[in-house]
Amino acid sequence: MPISGEQQASSRRPPSLLEFDGVNTYYGELHVLKSVDYRVGNGEIVCLLGGNASGKSTTMKTVLGIVKPRSGTVSYGGERINDLSTADRVRRGIAPVPEARRLFPRMTVLENLELGAFTRDDTAGIEADMERVFGLFPRVKERLRQQAGTLSGGEQQMVAIGRALMARPKLLCMDEPSMGLSPAFVEQVFDIIQEINRQGTSIFMVEQNANMALSIADYGYVLQTGEVVLDGSAKSLRDNEMVQQAYLGEVKA
Amino acid sequence: MPNPDLDPTEVAPPPSMGHPHELARGHSWIPAILGRAKSKMLRPYVFGLILLAAVLFPYVDGNEGDIDAAANALAFAMLALGLNIVVGFAGLLDLGYAAFFAIGAYTYGALSSYQIQPEWSSFWTPFQWLGLVEHLQSGAGAGVVHLDVSFWLALPIAALVAAFSGVLFGAPTLRLKGDYLAIVTLGFGEIVPIVARNTPYITNGAQGLNGVTTPNLFGYNFGVLSTPYYYLGLALIVVLIFVSTRLKYSRVGRAWLAIREDEIAAEAMGVDRTRLKLLAFALGASFAGVTGTFYVAKLQTATPEMFMFPVSIMVLVMIVLGGIGSVAGVVVGALILQLLQSWFLQDLTQWIHALGNLTGIAFLQTVDLVQSIELIFGIILVVMMLYRRQGIIPERASVTALTYEQQHAMPSPQSVESDLVPLHRRAIDPHKPLLVIKGLAKSFGGIKAVDRVDLEVAPRSIVAIIGPNGSGKTTFFNLITGLIEPDGGKVLLAGEDVTGLKPHRIVSKGIARTFQNLRLFSNMTLMENALVGAHVRTSTGALGAIFRFQRVKREEEAARARALEILRIFGNRLVPRLEHLAYSLSYANRRRLEIARALVSEPVLLLLDEPTAGMNPTETLELTNQIRRLCDRGVTVLMIEHKLDVVNKIADKVIVLDHGEKIAEGTPKEIHSNKEVLRAYLGRTTGVVAAAAIAS
Amino acid sequence: MTQWDILLQQVINGVSLGAMYSLLALGFTMVYGIIELINFAHFNVFMVGSFIAMWALVAMGFAGQSHVLHGLPLIGVLAVAFLATMLGTGILGVVIERFALRPLRNVSGTAPMITTIGLSYILYNVILLGAGADSKNYSNPMPNTHWDFLGGVTLRLREVLLWVVSLVLMVALHYFVRHTKMGKAMQAMAQDQEAARMVGIDVDRVVMLTFFLGSALAGAAGLIFGLYYNYTSYLIGYKAGLRAFTAAVLGGIGNIPGAMIGGVVIGLIESLGGQYIAVRWTDVIIFSLLVLVLVLRPTGLLGRAAPSKS
Repeated sequence: MPISGEQQASSRRPPSLLEFDGVNTYYGELHVLKSVDYRVGNGEIVCLLGGNASGKSTTMKTVLGIVKPRSGTVSYGGERINDLSTADRVRRGIAPVPEARRLFPRMTVLENLELGAFTRDDTAGIEADMERVFGLFPRVKERLRQQAGTLSGGEQQMVAIGRALMARPKLLCMDEPSMGLSPAFVEQVFDIIQEINRQGTSIFMVEQNANMALSIADYGYVLQTGEVVLDGSAKSLRDNEMVQQAYLGEVKA
Repeated sequence: MPNPDLDPTEVAPPPSMGHPHELARGHSWIPAILGRAKSKMLRPYVFGLILLAAVLFPYVDGNEGDIDAAANALAFAMLALGLNIVVGFAGLLDLGYAAFFAIGAYTYGALSSYQIQPEWSSFWTPFQWLGLVEHLQSGAGAGVVHLDVSFWLALPIAALVAAFSGVLFGAPTLRLKGDYLAIVTLGFGEIVPIVARNTPYITNGAQGLNGVTTPNLFGYNFGVLSTPYYYLGLALIVVLIFVSTRLKYSRVGRAWLAIREDEIAAEAMGVDRTRLKLLAFALGASFAGVTGTFYVAKLQTATPEMFMFPVSIMVLVMIVLGGIGSVAGVVVGALILQLLQSWFLQDLTQWIHALGNLTGIAFLQTVDLVQSIELIFGIILVVMMLYRRQGIIPERASVTALTYEQQHAMPSPQSVESDLVPLHRRAIDPHKPLLVIKGLAKSFGGIKAVDRVDLEVAPRSIVAIIGPNGSGKTTFFNLITGLIEPDGGKVLLAGEDVTGLKPHRIVSKGIARTFQNLRLFSNMTLMENALVGAHVRTSTGALGAIFRFQRVKREEEAARARALEILRIFGNRLVPRLEHLAYSLSYANRRRLEIARALVSEPVLLLLDEPTAGMNPTETLELTNQIRRLCDRGVTVLMIEHKLDVVNKIADKVIVLDHGEKIAEGTPKEIHSNKEVLRAYLGRTTGVVAAAAIAS
Repeated sequence: MTQWDILLQQVINGVSLGAMYSLLALGFTMVYGIIELINFAHFNVFMVGSFIAMWALVAMGFAGQSHVLHGLPLIGVLAVAFLATMLGTGILGVVIERFALRPLRNVSGTAPMITTIGLSYILYNVILLGAGADSKNYSNPMPNTHWDFLGGVTLRLREVLLWVVSLVLMVALHYFVRHTKMGKAMQAMAQDQEAARMVGIDVDRVVMLTFFLGSALAGAAGLIFGLYYNYTSYLIGYKAGLRAFTAAVLGGIGNIPGAMIGGVVIGLIESLGGQYIAVRWTDVIIFSLLVLVLVLRPTGLLGRAAPSKS
């Protein structure tokens, strides 16, 4: 039985933007996500924590539609989106910042950002969002004509976030934003994530760095071998020894 | 962090052509009948019947034209068998196979015709004495040499020449990836007929060879009628079918299949990819060499047109239609297409013309199906690839399901006797470290995936490697096992430097591994997977496979016995499923099979990459105990593991990697309380959060 | 003619051939760039294109080279012919992709390539059976205007037209790929397919577009062939195909500027090789070059790291 802070916190959580209900995902025979339930409320920062091979990446892929669940429901804005293509999900306002950035290496920073707005055609809005991205990431503005593959890890992360923002998403899905970044950059990135959230975007974040994630999140879920073993308000998880144990594989679900 | 796109070993191999899933689905009647025909008991009788019919055929149908067509059909069936070795067995797409056909043909042409006539000199006297050449004199002068090597001698010579050219061509090109290899073979297939056309001295160019000698058997000259050639062809094809089948079900055939399924895993299990690919190429070429000799002897001439691109494609269509990889299939495919061309289409054309006259449709009245044979080839290729990739006769029959009892038998973790057998035969000095790694390093782009790691592993111990995602653990394994070349550092096994050796050599030295994402040979049976592990400890080659000497049989039995012993380590979980294809096993069983496959190679050091991933707590516990017992029996284990309770239970030593660096080393207990380790896992904190943590 | 005159003449010929091979190589290389498929059918799409063009010209009233135009009417007729051909072959390419190649998109190994070989055969034989094996005298409205200079070197109007058209098409393609939204989507797909999906790019649409453009270019090359040589036959795909193929590989498979350069290089090799060695050996030279490039430098002159297909 997962220890849940949900019951106490539920009355205080905003209405759902993204919801997983009893989702089971398989890779061939391997049962990767075992009847998981998540909720990302409107305007929240929700983090998904867990050690390696816990199912965090698969969760992200399921949100984006790259992997389809065998059973259970993924809903967005109240609607079931299990069968929606990735492109359609992006059009509805879910934008990913993938693990390891995945910029288009031989295109310029500017082109990468422009591609983020691929599904949109409102030129004025796109320009406004471009300015917004420059505001958040002044370093990016300096490097507009540079090929994305030549940037450092931290700079690439910024461009990747910027690219996702260019879709004017309601929900930003971030897969391990701190991966491969130096500590200084990690701090910057998390500050920016908070700022983005303040400007109105909900954030669903998969992160291995539990401490950083919990320092800015509103709510958190802890995954272990495909099951949610712990969830609660970030505050309650911050001091919870069980988080540490779950990471190190000692909590038996 | 290593980029999975750069590291090919991270990508799990996709399913290969003709996936058995497709076999299981559509139950059309052809495979059903053939399935029954294939059942082991019936097979020799069916074959015998067909052979009898084939022998009687020229008496039943006395028509010279028909017999001639049949003899030609046999020639192409031989070619199909040869291409089947290259494409079907080893998975190498060869679009220029006719080049070897040409080489065989022109070799016989050179050795045994009036084409090449060097001037006579005393050099030729011993050859004349051996009966290989004739001295022709026309009036004054020294006269010329008429090369007249006997057909029977020329057959093996042509086979060897073709095989040799296969090796020559393959050596620089076989390491190319599938698509590129196909193109290169296409180029080669184009060049050979052009060279043939433009070197008239040897080939007489487009006019065709001059006066090729017909075969002569104990004084009976084959002459120009087709019947003796038909029987010769029949004899040859029986031999080639025999050789193909023997090769397929042998150590060599298994190694080829492993390469076809997953090259990298095959190499990591001890299969020397380059050598085996060359072998397939050479053997395939030799079949074409034999066929070339036969065909030219029958026609008494050869022209470059006979060996051009359309011929290569026609043979490809034959094996695609018949069933890639299936010996019976490709013969059937070849016969169908040949007979279609020479018998059926003409008649069919007449019928269609009649239909056209009846209905008054002009197109039907004038269409000539014989001319459109290539259109039919194209349609066959497209239709087969879209709807039935495995061909008419798939190479794998379906597998019988487990009986009810077998399925519901209580799994017993292991049997008692298997504890007594030694896992490897080497004597290991217990006082020196078995594995010494010094300063091992690898960078991808600017990122240090493995940053000067040192490690010592004592014999008969279990060392665990832990660390967060992207810390370089699998790259570390790949460096040790030779899948990637290190930028620096050394790897020493029992004092011997094995740094940077190719993966199959590493296995022969005694290091075997499993993969994080499982790399089994999905379309091979459980037993076959395990037997690939034995590849490096056995030595039967192509000759041994064909002739099956006593020594070969004993070696095969011993390998099977050993594989069975190893599989018994896992109780009755794997043993009842020996003939099941690997893809049909449960996830946990697949993990076990990978470990068993590695163990069959008699490793002194076993590298396990997340062996318990995806297993539930019970399975994890069982496997953990089994690993401990392996260690007790003399195998040293180095394992990457996430589940710290497993590590705590059996590891003697733990090292922690983070961002490619070793940040801690010690007993599980020491690591458990190490603050650095905790930070690596849970993440570095900002100043504020750290202060709060310290305060709490 | 002096040695230099001969050389210059062959250079002119070589560049003309090269322009044609470039157009052909481009379509082929574009498809490989986004889905890593070697499309053997492409070269017979080129051949079909030359026939479609011929029939279009015949429909406009031109049979053979007797009826000649000049100036604006000439350009008008050629424009219509090009548009009709490119549309025709573009659609053919899309149909091929949609029905024969898309079902195999996730199948690994050699099945997709074998399918394209089959499709190639089908196209070749449909034309052979439908239009006959004889060489067709091309319907050509271009006049035989030429300029002689330097004592023996001839530059023909059709060569100039050919260069202009090829250049225009290549520049247009280059512009499209580098500066339009869909073009950038194509680039994105070639660089990282999954990331392309994640910004909302519809992979199927982009593949269709690539096939359309590539096949349209092949069709244009087909028309150019007919206008240049005054003939066409069912065999031209096969001959030109292997050269364009080598051009694409030489420039680096998947690399668009590479295909352009590779085409010109192969064209020059063919004309200069034919002049200074022997015509009958040009095939061998070009194929040997192909083999050498693949063995020694599979990424080609300008190509990036070979794709990850293991």
